[in-house]
Amino acid sequence: MVMDNEIVALSSLEALVEAVARGSQPALRRIYEQESRRLYGVALRIARRPALAADALQDAFVQVWQKAGSFAAERGSAEAWLTGIVRYRALDAVRKTSREEPSDDPALGDRAEDPDQIEQIDRLLSRDALRRCLGALDENQRRSILLAFVDGLSHAEISKRLPAPLGSVKSWVRRGLLSLRSCLDS
Amino acid sequence: MIPDDLDDLHALAGEYVLGTLDPPAAREIDDALVANAALRRAVIFWEERLHGLSRLAAPGEPPPETWQKIAARLEIAAQPRTRLWNSLTLWRWSTAAATAAAACLALYIALAPPAGPRLVAILHAPQQQQPAWLATAGSGGLLVRALATETAPVDRSFELWAIAPGATPVSLGLIPASGRLELGRSTSIRDGDLLAITIEPEGGSPSGQPTGPVVFAGTLVAAK
Repeated sequence: MVMDNEIVALSSLEALVEAVARGSQPALRRIYEQESRRLYGVALRIARRPALAADALQDAFVQVWQKAGSFAAERGSAEAWLTGIVRYRALDAVRKTSREEPSDDPALGDRAEDPDQIEQIDRLLSRDALRRCLGALDENQRRSILLAFVDGLSHAEISKRLPAPLGSVKSWVRRGLLSLRSCLDS
Repeated sequence: MIPDDLDDLHALAGEYVLGTLDPPAAREIDDALVANAALRRAVIFWEERLHGLSRLAAPGEPPPETWQKIAARLEIAAQPRTRLWNSLTLWRWSTAAATAAAACLALYIALAPPAGPRLVAILHAPQQQQPAWLATAGSGGLLVRALATETAPVDRSFELWAIAPGATPVSLGLIPASGRLELGRSTSIRDGDLLAITIEPEGGSPSGQPTGPVVFAGTLVAAK
């Protein structure tokens, strides 16, 4: 197979996914080499336990192999697609096991108690519309959305963490998403 | 139920991507994604826009044996085409969908003229009750037509396949944007064949076997 040689090494992530769709295992391997550290970090932040995170990463790559054919052109970014698959697998894993109280041990990468994650976001997403739009949300909405997306917390876990009533958290998430959407669309 | 209201749809898709939906609601979205283009666009919107936030998680070294385990699982998994068609058996066709399809089929057969089609199939999306395509075959050949507006994603084509029980899929061709495909009577299909529509690269599957997801399927049955 043509893609199986040095071409793989030079390909963009999108091209690699397309090659995986055509059945190239070397392309999948290359994606693993390139992305596994980042994706494992994403999974570990959500799953919190290394064994669960490793399983989620494994399941995710098997899914990438199976679903690469459906990575259609209506998607812009293979990175977003991959991140999504890993996040959903990690979320599944963590929702199935009853998660212990979220830990504040910094070794586990739990930064949820950061007084203002927006500083970190400023650094990571400079000039990004997402940064501007998150900054425009009210504090509770922003924290709820970040705790859900980055830490994989459920409504109930966010409500415990903040702490705030469950009903408020649900409405912050929903209203935050709707404001975010109109801001990102404008 | 997947809402029609745009705000509701976007909030629901957003919560799906965040991971705050309860598992049954998340499964409902999973099932609806294949056939509901507006929902798919909304989910992709959020995945594309939010994924940068995942950089807040510090990268880490996965256990060293992880790749070996993945590779071992790929070896066990069969060739791509078998994999795809195995996934058909995973479709959870709801009783309601089956009943709705049967009712439709009965009505169609009742209305069909005596010289009408010999074989009929109603294709629908997994877990959807709505019949999406009607296939009729008779002495004149095979006619497949969309019952509602169904469009393939940008730069992709719908490809129609016939699969006899236990056999590999045979391509019957691409479905034009008009949603109507007519084939001559040399088309080889039989009672009991599964008709399936997959999403393929523009111009059709490069390998001659399905590569994309099955988005609609239905079995041909004899119309007596």
